[in-house]
Amino acid sequence: MMARWIGYLRERAHIVKGVFFAFLVFAVAFDFLIHRHEPHFFGDQIIGFWSLFGLLGCLGMIIVCKGLSHVWLEREEDYHDR
Amino acid sequence: MTASLFVHPASWFILGAALMPVARRLGVMKVWLVLIPLIALARIHFLPESFGLVEYLGFDLQFGRVDRLTFVFLHVFALMALMGSIFALQVKESGQHIAAFLYVAGSFGVTLAGDYLTLFIFWELMAFASTFLIWYRKKKRSIEAGYRYLLVHTAGGLALLAGIFLLYHSGHDLSFGMFTQEGAGWAEYLVMIGFMLNAAVPPIHAWLPDAYPEATVTGAVFMCAFTTKTAVYVLARAFPGFEVLAILGAVMALYGVAYAVIENDARRILAYHVVSQVGYMVCGVGIGTAMAINGTAAHAYAHIVYKALLFMGAGAVLEMTGRSKLSELGGLYKHMPWTMFFTVIGGIAISGFPLTSGFISKSMIVAAAGNNHQIILLVMLTLAGVGTFLSVGIKLPYFIWFGRDSGVEAKEAPWNMQLAMAMAAFVCIFLGVFPGALYSMLPYPVEYHPYTAYHLSETFQIFGFTGLGFYLMVKYLKPHDVSNLDLDWFYRKGSLRFLGFAAGPVVAVNEWVSNVYRTIGTRFTMAAARAFSWFDKEGIDWTIDGAARGVVDGGDRLRRLQTGRIQHYIGGAVVALLAVLLVVVLI
Repeated sequence: MMARWIGYLRERAHIVKGVFFAFLVFAVAFDFLIHRHEPHFFGDQIIGFWSLFGLLGCLGMIIVCKGLSHVWLEREEDYHDR
Repeated sequence: MTASLFVHPASWFILGAALMPVARRLGVMKVWLVLIPLIALARIHFLPESFGLVEYLGFDLQFGRVDRLTFVFLHVFALMALMGSIFALQVKESGQHIAAFLYVAGSFGVTLAGDYLTLFIFWELMAFASTFLIWYRKKKRSIEAGYRYLLVHTAGGLALLAGIFLLYHSGHDLSFGMFTQEGAGWAEYLVMIGFMLNAAVPPIHAWLPDAYPEATVTGAVFMCAFTTKTAVYVLARAFPGFEVLAILGAVMALYGVAYAVIENDARRILAYHVVSQVGYMVCGVGIGTAMAINGTAAHAYAHIVYKALLFMGAGAVLEMTGRSKLSELGGLYKHMPWTMFFTVIGGIAISGFPLTSGFISKSMIVAAAGNNHQIILLVMLTLAGVGTFLSVGIKLPYFIWFGRDSGVEAKEAPWNMQLAMAMAAFVCIFLGVFPGALYSMLPYPVEYHPYTAYHLSETFQIFGFTGLGFYLMVKYLKPHDVSNLDLDWFYRKGSLRFLGFAAGPVVAVNEWVSNVYRTIGTRFTMAAARAFSWFDKEGIDWTIDGAARGVVDGGDRLRRLQTGRIQHYIGGAVVALLAVLLVVVLI
């Protein structure tokens, strides 16, 4: 049953994508409305700060970590057994 | 005496382990496996504040000391023992269950210990018992990983023991209490290093992602819960407010998650992610305010449950398909939908979605850093949260359950595994919906409210846009069949290099010395031997043999003198008398 629902949604990926982008718009819009109390640092005052933080943090982490892995850390699975 | 012995929950687990073969013979092992954790879960509510005081060799041992910090850890350990045992019900080998029970007993013993000697004994019990949870996988890699695990933990135990000796030397009464940063010296920091090794604080963390992926399916579920969280408990008890812990904890949170982003094996990703999550707790201990310690305890509770849930999910996949590498998995939602459902709950709970346990626990530590004006820590921990969602919230489920269809055929996990996962998933959601249930158990009164509009907004944005980042970069995240170097290189490859050095230069030097010895030394020795031999023959033998020959000849002559004729004897006597007289007169 659960598998059928997921199969159904996978065939209609555009719906999932639409809902996802609608959620992004909602997340930023919601940040305009809320009340901010006792901010800890400057980022807490800027509307949409955490959106930028999430996106850049995620991209930065993928690029840095994957990059380090490629140029330095990556080894065959059995590296230590040889 | 026997009545008071069974006050201690560890006694029940030790009894459980001891009678496991009997229970197996009687065919009631499954009942026994559920019964013992249930008894422990019930008993911890009725523990006296102090019990099990024993005087031994002049030391005051205290097996039981209960306060609010102890209780919250006891509670989650007992709950975890129950869920882990249910997950492991289908395992027929009683040895695995015995190892797991002794391991849990060790964990209870450490948590309840009121002095360092008791703590140390149970600390070592944990290390030894858990090694068997790796060895029971019975593969070559597991055997080797188990030895490394044991050696590393033995080293950590020795650091702890050295610290205890120094404490005793300095006149400390060895009661297990709080240290202050100002008064801390070698002894305290050695104890801290011993604790930090079990908490997998970099740079002494590599044993964890080395060992856990090689453990048995059910063993890994136990291991991910107890070792590191017991270490968090002892750190929180002894070292709150130590700044070094705050810094290392935040570094750890990022370090673990960075590896979780790039690793391929599902259980290794989760293991690295344990490092990251324990980083939050270690950081909370380092911040040391009442709110931070509350956050540490709350996060330890929540983390044990959802990380165990994720290890159960990855373990169930490994059990049913024989695979744990993301590069070999994909599209499993069709075959194991319930396992997927529960694991995804674990994934969103660990990321800290609203209405899950992660949302109400992790944020407490982050907020404590903010309230303490430690903004760099706050940013590092929040960034680790982004990485958590990226690696365990999206990447792991995506490449196991969805993504490219790997064509793996699998059956749904057995009922008991699903039941354990359902229980853990329930706890994740329950705590998220009713945070008061957890907050009421915490060591200090809680004034924190997780469900504020600002916190929700922050969470929505971070998740939404981290998701967007994943969506944009998904093709770069495609898993490959690789593993990444970590600091265990130093004792895995580094020791080989050392052996190489020993086999290369050291052996060469040794051979050169032997050659020199052979060519010069041997000749010299031979010449010396010849000289000694000559001296032996010509000097010593001549003297000795000469003397011997003299005695023999003398005896021969004396024999010929004994002719039996009286004249000869008289003549002889006169000659002898003359000789004596000559000697006397001349001298």
